[in-house]
Amino acid sequence: MLLIALAWRNIFRQKRRSLLTALSMAGGYLVSAFAISLSEGSYNGAINFFTEDHSGHIQIHQANYLKRPKIHKTINNPQTISTQLKQNTNIRSHTLRVFAPVLAYSETKNSHAQLVGIDLALEQQTSRLAEKIIAGQFINNQQNTAGYYAVMISSNLARVLNISLGDELILISQGADGSVANDLYIVGGIINNKNARTVYLPLNAAQLFLSLPNKVHQIAILLNHSGEAIEQAQHIQQLLSAESLLGDSFPGESVTVSSLIPKLTQAEKSLRQNLTNLTVSPWQEVEATFYQSMQADKRGMNITLGIILFIVFIGVLNTVLMSVMERTREFGVLKAIGSRPLQITTLITLETTMLASMSIVTGFALSIPLILWFKNTGLKLSQPVDIGGVVLDRMTGDMNLYVFLAPAIAMLTFSILVSIPPAFRAASISPTKALGSH
Amino acid sequence: MPSKRSTISAKLSDKQPATAAPRTDQAIITTRSLCRYYGDDEHNKVKAVDNISIEIRPAEFTAIVGPSGSGKTTLLHLLGGLDDVTSGSVELAGTNIADMSGAQLADFRRDHIGFIFQAYNLIPVLSAAENIEYIMLLQGINNNTRKQRVEQMLAQVGLQGHGNRRPNKLSGGQQQRVAIARAMASKPDIILADEPTANLDSKTGIALLDLMKTLNETNNITFVFSTHDEKIMNRASRLIHIEDGQVIKDENR
Repeated sequence: MLLIALAWRNIFRQKRRSLLTALSMAGGYLVSAFAISLSEGSYNGAINFFTEDHSGHIQIHQANYLKRPKIHKTINNPQTISTQLKQNTNIRSHTLRVFAPVLAYSETKNSHAQLVGIDLALEQQTSRLAEKIIAGQFINNQQNTAGYYAVMISSNLARVLNISLGDELILISQGADGSVANDLYIVGGIINNKNARTVYLPLNAAQLFLSLPNKVHQIAILLNHSGEAIEQAQHIQQLLSAESLLGDSFPGESVTVSSLIPKLTQAEKSLRQNLTNLTVSPWQEVEATFYQSMQADKRGMNITLGIILFIVFIGVLNTVLMSVMERTREFGVLKAIGSRPLQITTLITLETTMLASMSIVTGFALSIPLILWFKNTGLKLSQPVDIGGVVLDRMTGDMNLYVFLAPAIAMLTFSILVSIPPAFRAASISPTKALGSH
Repeated sequence: MPSKRSTISAKLSDKQPATAAPRTDQAIITTRSLCRYYGDDEHNKVKAVDNISIEIRPAEFTAIVGPSGSGKTTLLHLLGGLDDVTSGSVELAGTNIADMSGAQLADFRRDHIGFIFQAYNLIPVLSAAENIEYIMLLQGINNNTRKQRVEQMLAQVGLQGHGNRRPNKLSGGQQQRVAIARAMASKPDIILADEPTANLDSKTGIALLDLMKTLNETNNITFVFSTHDEKIMNRASRLIHIEDGQVIKDENR
């Protein structure tokens, strides 16, 4: 306690200097916490936007599909995987999709478009597609009396093809079996999207159109906690091993599939081969451009924060050094009466740590209302910002433990580091020289 | 005249360097051919302490006397392990402190040596009681014992009721009493005082030295102090005169 009292009182020897140092550190904390809050808020908003809008937190594809999508790179047993995913309590929902480039024809116009086959029930649980309908309704899986399926198209495609609800739409593409796929559909809903040219079909209709029976290209997964995407992707990747899936097909059996069924059928071999070729990708891989932009931006921000902290800690170093130099004689006395060098070092480090702690508490108190306002209200941008394809029109902050803890840890760590050289200087003072004996 | 107890074998009157002193088991401080030189080359070399061999027995009240610049402070610093010896040895209670590491020396000073400085050198942000308590904290003494001993020390130096005052609220004499209490608090074997009365008026200085003498007699602590004040040195039971870093006279009184 006496050592703490000594350190505490030493801080207040030069009240004005300590106050200025503490204020600069508190300011550094405030700026750092606020910047991290804004960064986290903006990026978390963007991440939540696209993961919950369409991409999900994790996607499963055939290997290399993300880099080179091909119609035949399919997941051949989506229902088996779907059953597995439903049992995983970390997963909020998932959906199955097929994709293909198509040519879309209206009565008078045509355009290229992207066909997306969606599981109608699962899609509504996993993406915001249903919320974006601006005309018509979310399609069902039933053919009309003429035998045509209803489709949803993006507003951009509706504009390009000059079609609206109830109009006919002809799609032409190539089936997975090499055949020419073509069919006629009825526009049942229009999705608000002014950029993409997309046609949404019921999954079974799309599979039929593309000759992909019981096959999909993508399983998109929404997690309960978005921050677990990478580890959950790894976990799901392990679960998708052929042994795991086939083993679970025979609950209660402790033996392997190969010993249980001596003659594996060709279908099982095919399934095993297919499963081992599946790749589970977190959103960081799926939205790699955005993620890389975000990481680069965060690195830039960290460098800026580093420079701010560096300037702050130059001031701290100056304070500690002056404090040590002013008290040279005193350190000589402390050493003369039996203080070990380490005890002198501890005293000075303790003083700096206390000063930093006070500054952090002050900075924390000042940052709460600011960060809270940015979290709840935010600042509307006059010009929307495009980050890796995601457009942000409002600057909002995030408020979580990391926002407050990261700058606090940085401040404390830097404080201790900055105090070490002056502390060692004080600890290595020769008592005779310090006492000014000659 | 050299005392019978003196172990300085050199012929002191002609300022010849003292030779090694014969070992006496009772000595608490023994220096052998102790030298402390400053400066690297022969031309600039300052011989602050030059070949001093002395023995001081337990509970002696010894004054090191000499003019300014004679080497008193340097000798005291060497005896206390505050300064490095150039050659020779310093043995305190049979332990050669020249061989100790920095941390070992710190521990040795903490447990065996008390220091009193000319400028008091109290920690200004600590109260009188806390200044006394600090060294016991270094010794790892528990809180209750520390508090009790602080009260005892304050009583012994006549500062009851002044424990909560900071040094700047005490007179010079009172500050030096606190310094004496601090030096005594660790129950050292030796107290080294460097011109403890130099910053005090003569009346206060004499009173302070009388207090030191009383503590020396009641606690059997070895006191070695430096002074150039005639009135003060008269209180000492042994006078070691040094000049130009050498002992020129050693007398018991």
